[in-house]
Amino acid sequence: MGKLSHHEFIILLISMAVMLILSRVLAEFGRKLKFPIVMGEILAGIILGPTVLGLLAPNVFTTYFPSIGNTSIALDGIAKISVVMMLFVTGMEVQLPLVLKQGKAAIYTSTMGMIIPFASGFFIAYYFPSLFGVSDENYRLLFALFLGTALSISALPVISRILIDMNMFKTKIGTIIIASAMFNDLIGWLIFSFILGMLNTSTGEAQSVWITIASICGFGLFMLTIGKIIIDKSLPWMQKKLSWPGGILSISLGICFLCGAFTESIGLHAILGAFIAGIAFGDSVHLNQKAREIIHQFVTNIFAPFFFVSIGLKVNFVSNFEWQLVLVIVVLAYIGKIVGASLGAYLGGFSKNESLAVGVGMNARGAMEIILGTLALNAGLINTRIFVALVVMALITSLTSGPLIHYFVGKEANDKKSMELL
Amino acid sequence: MDYSKLKKRPSYPFETIAVAVSFSPRLEAVLCEAKRISNLFGSQLILLHVGDKTPEKEELLDAHIKKAGLDKNKNRLIWMDGEPVDTILKLCKLNIVDLLILGAIEKENLFRFYVGSIARTISRRAKCSVLLLTQPSNHPKRFKKIIVNGVDNPKTVHTIKTALYISKHEKLSEFTVVQEDDLPVLSMTIAESSTAPEATKIKKEMMQDENIKLQKIVDGLDKENITVTIKTVHGKPGYAISQFAKQKDADLLVFNSPDTHLGIFDRIFTHDIEYALANLPCNLLIVHSRI
Repeated sequence: MGKLSHHEFIILLISMAVMLILSRVLAEFGRKLKFPIVMGEILAGIILGPTVLGLLAPNVFTTYFPSIGNTSIALDGIAKISVVMMLFVTGMEVQLPLVLKQGKAAIYTSTMGMIIPFASGFFIAYYFPSLFGVSDENYRLLFALFLGTALSISALPVISRILIDMNMFKTKIGTIIIASAMFNDLIGWLIFSFILGMLNTSTGEAQSVWITIASICGFGLFMLTIGKIIIDKSLPWMQKKLSWPGGILSISLGICFLCGAFTESIGLHAILGAFIAGIAFGDSVHLNQKAREIIHQFVTNIFAPFFFVSIGLKVNFVSNFEWQLVLVIVVLAYIGKIVGASLGAYLGGFSKNESLAVGVGMNARGAMEIILGTLALNAGLINTRIFVALVVMALITSLTSGPLIHYFVGKEANDKKSMELL
Repeated sequence: MDYSKLKKRPSYPFETIAVAVSFSPRLEAVLCEAKRISNLFGSQLILLHVGDKTPEKEELLDAHIKKAGLDKNKNRLIWMDGEPVDTILKLCKLNIVDLLILGAIEKENLFRFYVGSIARTISRRAKCSVLLLTQPSNHPKRFKKIIVNGVDNPKTVHTIKTALYISKHEKLSEFTVVQEDDLPVLSMTIAESSTAPEATKIKKEMMQDENIKLQKIVDGLDKENITVTIKTVHGKPGYAISQFAKQKDADLLVFNSPDTHLGIFDRIFTHDIEYALANLPCNLLIVHSRI
């Protein structure tokens, strides 16, 4: 078994320390300006990566963040484990009962908020692949499916933060946005797992499609029924008998890795296993709030920064920035999501301005989009230019959601006042 | 059928009470409970049975009615053929029933729960209030401890009023309105971008708004001599209150009627009242406020 040399181990520890500390400093600075935390983490990666450090001090960059060798493999392993854990905690917050509880308004909003951006992304990517520099005919369909999915996903943590800051978390609009974003996440990650599964088989034969779909459905069904019952029955025992909070942390992440290993072994990506395990785990009535918070704190503050900083270490954001591509993706993202989600909310019984507030709220893509883009980049589904455009789109949509919700909610209040005066 | 009389009809007083009759070992106990409740509210009592009318069954039912101390001439008995759930619901609408009483076992096996038993299916679909009795007795006792779900919903005020109406007749000792503290996604959001004091403040403020709202509702009610306590419990809606009712050894747990039509998905991804129906912690009253 190969191992890190003494020198490589020191380099690994230093690079990890720098990644954690710089990302924390920038994230805290960004927090004061009400920016999503992921922005600081991405920025730390850009500073430490080829974009800034690689340009200003190439020797320092290649010494501490090498692209080859054991240190690089170790960092890559940490980033991969991080994304699996991040999908687990994302799954933990997907509460399907909340979607069912909100009834037709949530179903319409989430369905339309998926279908329209997906269709617009798929259509443009499939019929105009040259816009995105896709020339390989074999990948046209998968790329179109990916872009559709990338445009239809929403970022639950960013959205909920915006709603909390605006004191709208528990309002009718807030609840619908949260419930619809949860459903979007679920469907989005299922479709994305399907795409990655197809990419793994890379044959594109009809049988592979059905086997992939059957594997996803079968695993999901098992985990959300029998798996959920087993977790539900064993959680009270775990929380009572095992040491606190070590017991719950070890077992929950153990389940996450086991499910990830299983889905990876059947030709699907590990993220699917982790995500579904998260849903089954998070849905349990026995998972107490404190345990939930501890798992979140552990993953979000230790592992997520490694993942997001590592993105900037691999990609040069300046040389791969193509404004035309960014513009196309940003415009597609805004139109698809706002039109789709607003239409859904309107059909679900909201007024015009309320529907638009829901639409712009759902438009925030945040960390989810970046995770999706990174996995697609690693799988060779997209190139770095498209990846950079997706990251820029994720940041712009996250930053504009808050002010736009504020605008439409204010407009609704003004309209109501005017009506009362009449 | 003209159902216009049902629209906007208040959930109380209980002018007409119906009891679903089935030939189970608990029939007599259910009839005794129905008698006590109808006497308490001065209501007209209707006995509903869905199934064939045979001389043997008639004789058996007569014997139970007699044993329960009910007067066959005073209390109407309706026999009808058909599918039990739809027929009972139809009869309740036709007779403008305000409260339907059913006997129900506390916990059904998994298959029966997912498929849906008669009592639970009626509870999900009824257009009148439904009382599920988990342990009916031949010597019924009054409800002493009532727990009401104080969820943030326009129906809640009617539900609390109905529970108070029952409480006044029962002259009960404990009346608690429970608010459930469950904030989905909050753990994730707080973990990402909040300091410890901020996180505490966010949680506190979120619960405070609902607390004030509920307090206002309770303050505005005519409570007579009943002391109403508001209690916040932590956990998933429906489950947390059911556990609380069990702990407190409550006699009656009161819920709003469901806002949407509940189907099998609501049982697989259990939420709210489905938690109580999955494992009845005590007698359950579902108030249909018809608003």
